Amino acid sequence: MARPSTLAEAPPSAGAASKPAGVLDFFDRTFKYWAVLPTVIVLTLLTIQPALQLIQMSVSDVQFSGGQLQWTFVGLDNFKYLATDVVFPVALRNTLIFVVCVVVIETFLGLVLAFAVSRVGRFSPIYRAVFVTPILIPAVAIGTMWRLMYDYNFGIINQILALFGIAGPTWTGDPNLALISVMIVDIWHWTSFLFLILLAGVESLPHELSEAARVDGANEWQVYRHVLLPMMRPTIIVALMLRTILAFKVFDEIFLLTGGGPGTASQVISMHIYTVFFEQFRLGYGALLALLMALIISVFVIFYQWVNAMARKTM
Amino acid sequence: MSRKLSRRSFLKGAGVFAAAPLATRLDLFRTFSKSPLLQDVPSVRPITIQINDSPWFAGFEALVDLYVETTGNEVNLDVSPFAGMLQKSRNAVQAPESEFDILNLNEQWYSMFYQGGLVAPLREIDPDFELDPNIIEYDYATRWDFDLNYSGPNGELYGLPINGNIQLYFYRKDLFEENGLSPAETWDDVASNAAALHNPPNMHGFTLRTNPSNFEFQAYLVSHGADIVTLDAETGEWVVQLDTPEAVAALNTWISLGKNYGPTNLADLDQAANLALMNSGRLAQVHMVSAAAPNFQDPNQSIVVDQVGAGVVPAGPARRATMSGIWVMSIPTNLPAERQQAALTFLKWALSKEAQIYYSQAGAIPVRQDVYEELSDDPALGWWMSAVAESTPYIVGQVRLAEAPQFFEVLDRRTVEALIGELSPEDAMMEAAREVHTILQQSGYNVRDLRS
Repeated sequence: MARPSTLAEAPPSAGAASKPAGVLDFFDRTFKYWAVLPTVIVLTLLTIQPALQLIQMSVSDVQFSGGQLQWTFVGLDNFKYLATDVVFPVALRNTLIFVVCVVVIETFLGLVLAFAVSRVGRFSPIYRAVFVTPILIPAVAIGTMWRLMYDYNFGIINQILALFGIAGPTWTGDPNLALISVMIVDIWHWTSFLFLILLAGVESLPHELSEAARVDGANEWQVYRHVLLPMMRPTIIVALMLRTILAFKVFDEIFLLTGGGPGTASQVISMHIYTVFFEQFRLGYGALLALLMALIISVFVIFYQWVNAMARKTM
Repeated sequence: MSRKLSRRSFLKGAGVFAAAPLATRLDLFRTFSKSPLLQDVPSVRPITIQINDSPWFAGFEALVDLYVETTGNEVNLDVSPFAGMLQKSRNAVQAPESEFDILNLNEQWYSMFYQGGLVAPLREIDPDFELDPNIIEYDYATRWDFDLNYSGPNGELYGLPINGNIQLYFYRKDLFEENGLSPAETWDDVASNAAALHNPPNMHGFTLRTNPSNFEFQAYLVSHGADIVTLDAETGEWVVQLDTPEAVAALNTWISLGKNYGPTNLADLDQAANLALMNSGRLAQVHMVSAAAPNFQDPNQSIVVDQVGAGVVPAGPARRATMSGIWVMSIPTNLPAERQQAALTFLKWALSKEAQIYYSQAGAIPVRQDVYEELSDDPALGWWMSAVAESTPYIVGQVRLAEAPQFFEVLDRRTVEALIGELSPEDAMMEAAREVHTILQQSGYNVRDLRS
């Protein structure tokens, strides 16, 4: 006998027969809405309400006066600051360069490591533990550690270079190197995140297809290129999307290593928002910048979802 | 973190004096705690003070210990890192009743609290309150003039200084004596002394603070006859001073000293890096905050103990100038009268001459001229206290407009862009002037057109 697919299709129980059928029927039909209601309420309180407040702040002038925050509606006035803000375009450019570089490199390294570790066999747990370590260290500790390592006079990197007769550069003080120095730290820190996600994907792949390809005469490169990578595509896209969102919000590494300098050489959007919000106390304009950043990230998320949808169609 | 101090807690925390042996510290405490001048204080309700965990905290904690011991009044200290101070202060003044009886406000943000009416005028709490003329006002950082919308001599008293941090010129006394050099009086002297001693990488003639740069760079600006902005009292216009030849000359002096005599990583030097250079014996001269002085005397940090001298910040073509970077203590408006009275009682006591002498010997930076003069002959502190006493006529306050943090960000960025060669000094100052002009215009100030 076929089982009912929903509660509404289930036959009424003996107990329920004594209750008004209409009320029960109503609850049965609308149960799915009641079930998600708590989540909707929590989401509204924790996400939508602050987002609405951010939007409200972005069209307001917010000042402390008379012991209180005074909100004055200014419409699109905060955009005039955007038009004359010479730091924002540089910060946006640096952020895009940073995001593209670190996401591509970290994904590539994460994928290589994931494939490699999946084939290691009995030493796999050791490798996993080693590769996961950077993500477990607090960002503040990482920033401090690398700041010391990059130090021109006392840092270990320049000391090692000196052993080979190479005069080390000023890693965080050279405008051509400052952003690259931060990227190196970010790649060291976050590759393990990509590695974890991609390793989970690699380990869930069915072995039969790659075995079949090998039996059919495919070499290892062909197995990876034509069998494993296409099957990994959805996982890679999700990993790319998550990492892109996080990379856009890079702050602690920049704050601790370069402060956005020298000049604006390593300035990024989140660092600029911090300065506007917490050092210049321009809450309205800061909110506008935060909103713009959220919009830019949303564009990337939509792009990844579109790529994912396209990939599914072709599979 | 909240700390409750009592007589008992003093004995546990007696190690706050970094510079003197324990026996001397205890002697000092015993002597001061018996002073009749310090005991003449009414009994008031317990208070909570917001305080930052900066290098002078140990001295402040010792001062509070002494207050508790001599008066029997109870004090709680709410200790925060510098980075969280402003947010905590803002939260406190927005609450129905402030959690703090005393706020500690930095020079770069106190104006927001004065202007916004978030802290109480001291004469509203005590109509008979008079400021002791020996208390240094640091270009009127204690006052707010609502007619000028600025700190000025005719303004109402809103805060009292608690940390008198200004800039000094430090040099290696031993090297100067060996080489027959004299402490610099002008920036040109700094250059010639630096040229004589510069021998990188083991010895640098001079260095700059470039991350961030604005605080020290303002002294170069003022000493060359420029500034960020000035108010024309006759027309009521704000005048941007960064597009002047004097401002460009100031930037040229700054860059030239740094590039010729500074270390290779000049574009990324913060205060800690400069301290480390001096403490490790690799720097001949530096221009930095007076609060650095005790560090040079600490054998745990420094290999140049007793080898550093101090003087007034050198002069430019126009004048001498030492910028203040002080902290003021204020009492929130959103407190009942009884709590405000208790807070003011502590502040009056803390700024008395005896308390300030004790405060200085505990490693903090006092705020009284008579204390600096009296301690100028002190064998341990005199070498830099006398320099601070001499500097008083040259103290210049930083810009005290709500938009000042935006100006500082512009200066930080543009000066370093010139230093690393992304812009010429002329272009850097012109761009800085345009940005500051735009900031003032957008904020609704009456601002004079730029010169070009």
